[in-house]
Amino acid sequence: MSAPTTNDEQEHAARGPLWLEARSITKQFGAVIALSDVDVSFSLGEVVGLIGDNGSGKSTFVKILSGVYQASSGSLLVEGKPVRFHSAADARAMGVETVHQDLGLVDSMSIARNFFLGAERRKGPFLDLKRMERETSAMLREIGLGNLRAIGQDVSRLSGGERQAISIGRAVAFQRKMLILDEPTSALSIQETEKVFEFMRAARDRGLAVLAVMHNLTQVRDVADRFVVFYHGRKIADIVNTGQSEQDLAHYIIEGKLAEMGIEREQVDMGVIRAITTE
Amino acid sequence: MCEAAEGSTTGNRGSSEVSLRTMGSGFRSREASSAPTSGGPGGGVVAPEAPALSRWGSGSPLTRLVRQREFGIIAVGVVLFAVFSLASSGTFDSFQTWGGIGSSAAELGIVSVGVGFLMISGEFDLSVGANFAFAALVMATMVHDGYPPIEGLLVDLGIGIGIGLLNGIVTVFLNIPSFIATLGTYFLWSAVVLIVTGGTTITILPPTPTLLNVLGGFIGDQMRSEILWWLGIALVVGVVLHRTVTGNWIYAIGGKRMAAREAGVAVARTRVLAFVLCGMLAAFAGAVQLAHLGSMSAGYGSAYQLEAIAASVVGGCALTGGRGSMVGIVVGTVILQMLASGLILSGVSPYWYQAVVGIIIIVAVAMHTRIGAVVHGAES
Ligand SMILES: Nc1ncnc2c1ncn2[C@@H]1O[C@H](COP(=O)(O)OP(=O)(O)O)[C@@H](O)[C@H]1O
Ligand SMILES: [Mg+2]
Repeated sequence: MSAPTTNDEQEHAARGPLWLEARSITKQFGAVIALSDVDVSFSLGEVVGLIGDNGSGKSTFVKILSGVYQASSGSLLVEGKPVRFHSAADARAMGVETVHQDLGLVDSMSIARNFFLGAERRKGPFLDLKRMERETSAMLREIGLGNLRAIGQDVSRLSGGERQAISIGRAVAFQRKMLILDEPTSALSIQETEKVFEFMRAARDRGLAVLAVMHNLTQVRDVADRFVVFYHGRKIADIVNTGQSEQDLAHYIIEGKLAEMGIEREQVDMGVIRAITTE
Repeated sequence: MCEAAEGSTTGNRGSSEVSLRTMGSGFRSREASSAPTSGGPGGGVVAPEAPALSRWGSGSPLTRLVRQREFGIIAVGVVLFAVFSLASSGTFDSFQTWGGIGSSAAELGIVSVGVGFLMISGEFDLSVGANFAFAALVMATMVHDGYPPIEGLLVDLGIGIGIGLLNGIVTVFLNIPSFIATLGTYFLWSAVVLIVTGGTTITILPPTPTLLNVLGGFIGDQMRSEILWWLGIALVVGVVLHRTVTGNWIYAIGGKRMAAREAGVAVARTRVLAFVLCGMLAAFAGAVQLAHLGSMSAGYGSAYQLEAIAASVVGGCALTGGRGSMVGIVVGTVILQMLASGLILSGVSPYWYQAVVGIIIIVAVAMHTRIGAVVHGAES
């Protein structure tokens, strides 16, 4: 279980150097402890799949890595040097691009304005709307979305798949070092999901660190090089993908729950565990 | 254009599958052709000469005009204008009447610019009426006591900025809904005004100092300079709203605050700024009214918070934020004032004013919702 095995599907450029390290991250919202003492490291050229139950702190962790929230304690290091992300703009400037669970799109704004939100193109003190529209259509064309009806129309008119594509497109267009996707496939069909995975693998092969929060254990096995498992705000596993079965992964999630309830794994019928942990 | 048409005929679900199917391959070809990108945020966008898709998809200029969110309300304004012109047997459409309407609308108009701007960011300010009276009363007292009017004006603006800043801080940092926060400060400042003045009216005439003439003196038959202040302010704030990053952020914050934050928008700072602008404009409107009337009393401006919200809503600002325009806010104000003057000139009892305003608000919002459904999709 310790050494990574390379099979045909998993073949990719060797994992690159360590890039981002999260050390003893704790996050409290009032009385709620969303994360406690979490350590995770991310290397260039690697896809990390983050799994865990609803409410286990995955999105909170993503928001800390992308500067949306600030940790209550703990630190972030980029290439070994401590950094502080006071806002999403800081994280972006360091090279972290994120597709959040809610896709981070403003429905009442146009595709182009959404694309450049927070990184607006300017001409002197004014918005350069023409340029933003031109660059947005060029970018969408490049990622195969050129047939999208009109750049000036509101995002609220798009389907779920189109929104997802715009959101990922935005992250890729501005990509630097790390791409984070929070539940990118939860609203997508199987084919659409596979395309998003291709996107993630392509980003990895270009040497980006990729973090994907996933709910579906079957899917995460297909795309992740390493699994990180959260349970109730703690990291309970951090393992290389060696082709573990879905049940193996489910065990990591369920073990936290069982330990808390004082139950040994063997006592529990596997069928029950499967029923609880997979949708 | 052909591609755009094809996309729209495929239907939502279909077109998204097509697009995602090509996503991976598109990405790979990009990888083969261009080196990994660098530079500032967005430095990676490669922009070959691709024509921007048209703004509203398709349609003749007339169709596009009709689809503009403000179109409906401008049409309502034109209809009202025609009705009043006929009903008043020709007095309504005179230049004098319009100078008068514009001048009377100016104070409300200036307040509405701030209130509408704030509403687009998703917030309310119910304290503008109290702010208006308080700031202008302090200015009136200073001018009355012999201070130069310019000093009075600066203090007036300072008070407005301070009140706006307080509203912003309470709302943004104490995380209290602005409706409640500014309802609180409305009561607070209304009381302070009465405590300080004891409810008296302060009159500063004669003689009329120059500054007061500049703010609210006559520049024509019926027209006063305040109309120029109003339109000038609307123009400047409109440019900020529609053509700058700050304005873009106001729309984003009002549309979906978390998404704005996730995109790196300086949410807290921009929200506070909107409150400050609103407070400053309310106080400035108070100074303009002082200049116009030569007197100020605690009760002046007390209806402005609701009228300014009415003007903004009639003009197409969404109560929930994220939508609206400066043209709409100005036209909304003009319509309210047109009703006030038009009813009188048509010989209708002014008591009907509020009833008609009420109906217009409901009609306008219903219309904006319907037009919104066409322009922006079913969700708006
Ligand atoms: N802004 C917030 N305020 C208060 N509690 C929050 C907030 N965000 C998340 N939480 C809480 O933190 C915990 C982890 O949530 P989250 O990170 O969204 O979990 P996941 O993404 O794994 O489903 C949950 O108990 C959630 O209710
Ligand atoms: Mg989540």
